[in-house]
Amino acid sequence: MKILGISAHYHDAAAALVIDGLPVAAVQEERFSRAKNDAAFPMAAIEWCLDQAGLEPEQLDAVVFYEQPALKFDRILTSSLRSFPHSWRSFPKAMKNMLGEKLWIRGIIASQLGVPGRKVLFSGHHMSHAAASFLTAPCGEAAILTADGVGEWATMTIGAGQKGKDHATSIKLIRELRFPHSLGLFYSAFTAFLGFAVNEGEYKVMGLAAYGVPNRVDDVYQVIQRTADGALELDLRYFDFHSRAETSFSKRFTDLFGPPRNPNEPIDLASQDGRRFVDIAASAQRVLEDILVDIAQALHRETGFPDLCLGGGVALNGVANARLLAESGFERVSVPPAPGDAGCALGAALFADRIHFGQPHRDVPDHPFWGPGIEPADLLRLAREDDIPVEEVDEDALLSDIADALWQGAIVGWMDGALEFGPRALGHRSLLAAPHDAALRDRLNRDIKYREEFRPFAPVVTLEHAHRFFELAPGAERLGRFMSGVFPVRREWRERLAAVTHVDGTARVQVLDPPMAPRLARLLDLYGQRSGIPVLLNTSFNLAGEPIVNTVAEGYSTFRRSGIDLMVAGSICVRKGGQRHEALSEAAE
Amino acid sequence: MASLLRPLYWTIWASPRRRAQKLLQFAEVEAEGGRDLVRASELTVDPVLRRLFLAHARDEERHARMFRSRGLALGVGMPPRAGNTMFDWISPGERGLDDLRIKDEHLGSLLAFIHLSESAAARDFAEYSSVLGHDPLTRSLFDHIGRDEEHHMRYSLAQLRRVASGGSRALLWKARLRRLWKAYLRLASAIAGIMSTVLLTIQYFVLLPPFALLAKFAMRREQPGWTVLPPALDSKSGREF
Repeated sequence: MKILGISAHYHDAAAALVIDGLPVAAVQEERFSRAKNDAAFPMAAIEWCLDQAGLEPEQLDAVVFYEQPALKFDRILTSSLRSFPHSWRSFPKAMKNMLGEKLWIRGIIASQLGVPGRKVLFSGHHMSHAAASFLTAPCGEAAILTADGVGEWATMTIGAGQKGKDHATSIKLIRELRFPHSLGLFYSAFTAFLGFAVNEGEYKVMGLAAYGVPNRVDDVYQVIQRTADGALELDLRYFDFHSRAETSFSKRFTDLFGPPRNPNEPIDLASQDGRRFVDIAASAQRVLEDILVDIAQALHRETGFPDLCLGGGVALNGVANARLLAESGFERVSVPPAPGDAGCALGAALFADRIHFGQPHRDVPDHPFWGPGIEPADLLRLAREDDIPVEEVDEDALLSDIADALWQGAIVGWMDGALEFGPRALGHRSLLAAPHDAALRDRLNRDIKYREEFRPFAPVVTLEHAHRFFELAPGAERLGRFMSGVFPVRREWRERLAAVTHVDGTARVQVLDPPMAPRLARLLDLYGQRSGIPVLLNTSFNLAGEPIVNTVAEGYSTFRRSGIDLMVAGSICVRKGGQRHEALSEAAE
Repeated sequence: MASLLRPLYWTIWASPRRRAQKLLQFAEVEAEGGRDLVRASELTVDPVLRRLFLAHARDEERHARMFRSRGLALGVGMPPRAGNTMFDWISPGERGLDDLRIKDEHLGSLLAFIHLSESAAARDFAEYSSVLGHDPLTRSLFDHIGRDEEHHMRYSLAQLRRVASGGSRALLWKARLRRLWKAYLRLASAIAGIMSTVLLTIQYFVLLPPFALLAKFAMRREQPGWTVLPPALDSKSGREF
């Protein structure tokens, strides 16, 4: 069967194509539109997926949208009614938003793709998260936990899944927590309070938390309480998101925690306010982790499975994931490379294949590389046109040269093969650098990524050497595969891994299984031969505010505009120096 | 027209708080324009234009940093503003390449659009500078950026003439009409937005109260915590609800 999955209209729209039970293409719309977290209907992504398989839309057996829009509308309308009359400002906005486009998904898909409306199916939002996590994980049965801001009504679900070759795959969601009580929205409120963009800045709160002391945990537990059945409940007097569109926390919240941070002002850790913000971040992070661990422990007792599959935006919290692995009782925790809404496109397509149509299970290849490939010849042409030193060399010499350059302190833009699906660069669209030098990290922050200095960079290391440098709990390799867990750097290596070790001695390490990205694995070995440490700093190949690069031309323009020293695409390598610049004043003559 | 708006500009730029907010907003617009130009450079096959667009993008990024830095200096200690105001319409700053789908644009149309955008920005910035006598630092910022915009204006016109040869005049007129059409669409959608907000707000207060009462009663009956899902719910139906 040929099934197209689509996620769109909230954040990070994406499309994924599944043929005969296996993904053949999956990509976020932002990688084509170049608008970060683009939520628009993912027409470019859909077109690319279909082209990749050589399909016309009419050849599709089904198109599956990742959530149920009518149910979502029900939640929005009901929430407005429940918070009457305080919702009078948000009501018109919410209605215009839903009635304008988001409610009529079947018609939009049918008209944009030219497929009959009967071929358009819907999966529940959290079912899509569950399917994206469970159906791609290498396990036969598992407990499932999904958590995000909100889907239709659900904000968190727990359940269990079983795969069967004989048409018996099932995902049973046992319980759900319903809006407005949401762990994701709880964390988002703190994200907004700390001056970061909601739905984007949550990972900054996690990074900031390491600088603080969780001394406001009791205060945090005033705004979020546990219920007798082990779930959670927000004290809505502290929040505004259920009745207002502009803010997510109320005056009572700021009475408790003090004035919010001005997003335009930096966090000064030496100031009293700066300390307050990092301590609040640490406290909110601690509470999030404690609640997740507690819920997962109960789920483990209930299901008895050794595997836990995590999905939803909350699963991007690597610190919480590592604690889940260590404390929940599960032997393995699996997080897919795209646990957020983008990944729901793949989840929805797999859900339709296995469960709606009852097709037999097939193991999904365990990698994130479902996007467009590269055309290295483009780099040759672009560099020659700009008089930039460029060379095409054989594989061994190229990798050896790059390892030398990295050892000498170069920052390398690395493009290899198909684009990653999901927010992480896992070795195909990466910026690589030596991991030992804190000055290099500062240079990356200052000249390339233009980002806050409190945010850490991640290391990549092969499976073979990972335990030598990092304290990996049993099962951590699974979390580390897609950079989904934060683990301690071994004390004796922290100084020599200064550029990738966070202030609390941890790192969000990618544990590379060589067959997943063999060229990067070879580069790590060669770098290790020179430095004695086969570890590299690996961050996404993009500049601040831009999506990860997709094509060689995008990589090249990023290389030209930033402090990247060297760029590699396939067997082509370009270096900075001597390039032609066009003076605008001369061009005006 | 500009002289008519002068007292209004004076009012807008008199308040340090509003000045800070406008400059921060301009920083975002410039950064966005820079990203559009980067996109244009990535898509063009003309090497000269690629280098020029990249240089232009660098200028926009630099302007964004300058606006931001001055805005932050002016706004120290002030809380951030939420949402847009009417003043954003009256003193727009550079519109950059807004509403433009770079990948769908013909090179000539793109250059014509850039030329007109930069001309408008240079004109606006000169106006703002003329009412900022009381703030020499912000004034010199506008003067400096305004000069860059003039360079952008000239290079884009020169390149338009090169790329489109005889058709540049027609492309410029077409771009002018498109800008006018887009301005009309912006105005029309703003008016439609206001009208629909008013109508929906009236409905909210007239039609919704009895349903709100029912919803509140229903909410009271809900138990906190987990909702147990029926065993058959694996959503096999694929329905919208």
